[in-house]
Amino acid sequence: MSSRALRQPFALKFTSATFLAIWCIVAAFPIFWITVMSFKSPVDAFSSNPLNVVFGPSTRAGGNGLSILDILMGIVVIWITARLMTRTLPMMVAAYAPAGQKWIGWVIGSLVVAIGFLVTFFAILPAILDALNPVFGPLGRDIIGLTTEHYKTVWIDRGFSNNFKNSMIVTTGVVTVSLTVGTLAGYGLARSGSGLAFAILIIALVFRALPHSVLVAGYLPVFISSSEWLAPILGENAPTLYGKPFAVIAVLVAINQPFTIWMLRSFFQSIPAELDEAARVDGCNHFQAFRRVIMPVMWPGVITTGLFSFLLGYNDFLVTSLLLDAQNQTMVPAIAGMFSRETTTTDQVVAVAAAVSITAPLFFLVMVFQRQIVSGLTAGAVKG
Amino acid sequence: MAEIQLRNISKRWGAFVGVDNFDLTIADKEFLVLLGPSGCGKTTTMRMIAGLEDATEGDIIVDGERVNDKEPKDRDVAMVFQSYALYPNMNVYENIRFPLKVRGSDPATHHDRVMQAAERVELLDFLDRKPAALSGGQRQRVALARAIVRKPKVFLMDEPLSNLDAKLRVSTRAQIKNLSHDLAATTIYVTHDQIEAMTLADRVVVMKRGVVQQVGSPTEIYDTPANTFVASFIGSPAMNLMDGEVQGGTFRSQHTEIHGLTAPDGPVTLGFRAEDASLAAAVQGQINAPIYTLELLGDATMISVRINGALVSVKADKAFRAEIGDTVSISVPNEICHIFEATEDGKRIEG
Repeated sequence: MSSRALRQPFALKFTSATFLAIWCIVAAFPIFWITVMSFKSPVDAFSSNPLNVVFGPSTRAGGNGLSILDILMGIVVIWITARLMTRTLPMMVAAYAPAGQKWIGWVIGSLVVAIGFLVTFFAILPAILDALNPVFGPLGRDIIGLTTEHYKTVWIDRGFSNNFKNSMIVTTGVVTVSLTVGTLAGYGLARSGSGLAFAILIIALVFRALPHSVLVAGYLPVFISSSEWLAPILGENAPTLYGKPFAVIAVLVAINQPFTIWMLRSFFQSIPAELDEAARVDGCNHFQAFRRVIMPVMWPGVITTGLFSFLLGYNDFLVTSLLLDAQNQTMVPAIAGMFSRETTTTDQVVAVAAAVSITAPLFFLVMVFQRQIVSGLTAGAVKG
Repeated sequence: MAEIQLRNISKRWGAFVGVDNFDLTIADKEFLVLLGPSGCGKTTTMRMIAGLEDATEGDIIVDGERVNDKEPKDRDVAMVFQSYALYPNMNVYENIRFPLKVRGSDPATHHDRVMQAAERVELLDFLDRKPAALSGGQRQRVALARAIVRKPKVFLMDEPLSNLDAKLRVSTRAQIKNLSHDLAATTIYVTHDQIEAMTLADRVVVMKRGVVQQVGSPTEIYDTPANTFVASFIGSPAMNLMDGEVQGGTFRSQHTEIHGLTAPDGPVTLGFRAEDASLAAAVQGQINAPIYTLELLGDATMISVRINGALVSVKADKAFRAEIGDTVSISVPNEICHIFEATEDGKRIEG
């Protein structure tokens, strides 16, 4: 497999492997650590002994823990789920889904697996293990403290689910608007030979370079006084946009749009213009060529750009904290609020649990879309 | 089917002239080849007929109807692109079917028509493959099938063979010739390869820098080139051209003296084809010069001499052997000579 020219001396391999390993640990450690902390009682979470943080003796003393048997069974269930997703599901989809509508098969299949997993993992498995643990003696004894009470506090008592919902509204809005405008504009600019197109792109770049706070400051008075200037159009019921998700979506799109246009334009440019031309000769008008021929090969670009837009909306602090009222608060400012409150150690762990919760959707997104973010979808279109 | 009239069409980008005053009527069912070096405006002309490029001036008339302002889809043309331009997300079957689908023709007929087109170009074994899993020749055949699946008025082919290797080019060329004969549709074919032009065309248009140099059947173009550009572009090897002077019906140049020409006195360019000339016994021929190079072609031996810096070749028997530097005598009878004005792209002087 490896040719002689590419073979590396052992010292180089060892050094690069070590460097990579250390780098991974350094990069992953904070996430790993706060994840561990979030499942422990405050005493363990802030213990000065790192081993206490990992194994959580006082959490265990409180009656919350995992035995070796629990861990093994949990791993087995996760492994089976992974097998189902990667092996059985693709086969089932290939066999049963109607051709051309494979995605429906995928959606239904994934939903079934997900629901099955949640039920098994959180309902059936604990019940079985409760019965089994006493029987297995030492194997059934708790060795790692683990409690989910902080998550319950965050999501149920502190109303984090409401923040989650607001985050989803904002990010969905940002991604939808950014991608709709971005694909159309990117396509137009990529295929236009005029000098004006280049000027527009440069102006877009200038807007992208503006600090976010400038945009927020510019929009803020407009949103606060919106009930006045909207009154002539909407009459009595003209809303005050300040505090509403719509305001944040508008500002975030303004920040994000130049970037998405640039990015999508470069993706469109990598698609040969002959494809448009072939489609137009074959009987499409401009828009049909765009929709039926260009968009199907653009998915990797759209998904990648969409991911970036999502991250911008999802992780934004400045715009959301300045423009949203308490009831429309998204997750990031809410977590900042939890950390900065005068608090007990319990509150701190709750905030940590919230911080861990916020990463979950990101993992989910990457898992779902990793299959789509593949290059070379245009392979075979033209002479390479 | 369709007759295409191009009335004085021009294409300009700012000051740059792509196609200058192109005027031609293409008969129904004719196979017309646009031939020229790269950048001569042949592809631009085709793209104007397809509607992918707007003509700056002039009218494009298909079947008596002016189509300048029509979208490509309304012109009822099919085009094969140099780079194939297959839809990478669809398999071969869907690629071929695409024109039928977007034009909303009766879905019940789709399958038969796709299968027919695929059979014509011998693609039946590959219908489920994506373009990425095909070789260059197969991709080109998919592009052909996609063009013929609908019965368009006009076929446009933009250097369809230039990305194929030499062997495949010959077989695909034969396939295209046969296909166009069967379909009997008006076909416009762009190429820079004069052999393709000679083998395929009913009529050839030779272009240079946007200007038509000569229009004629392959035989006419080969036998009576209109100027030195056409003479030097057509044929393999191209026509021998040498500069010299005519005085009293005798052409003189370095090592050369040809009598009995009917041309006015003055400087001219004289041309003849390598296969028309022959070797003569010592000092009997019109050209007597040292051999510059000697190439074995298998079926013949090509002997070249230098006249005023220009290479002049003659085809000799395959058994002929000599050393470089030996003097040869070449017989160039006056009836095989073509005489051109001694300017750049000098015009043919009849006679």
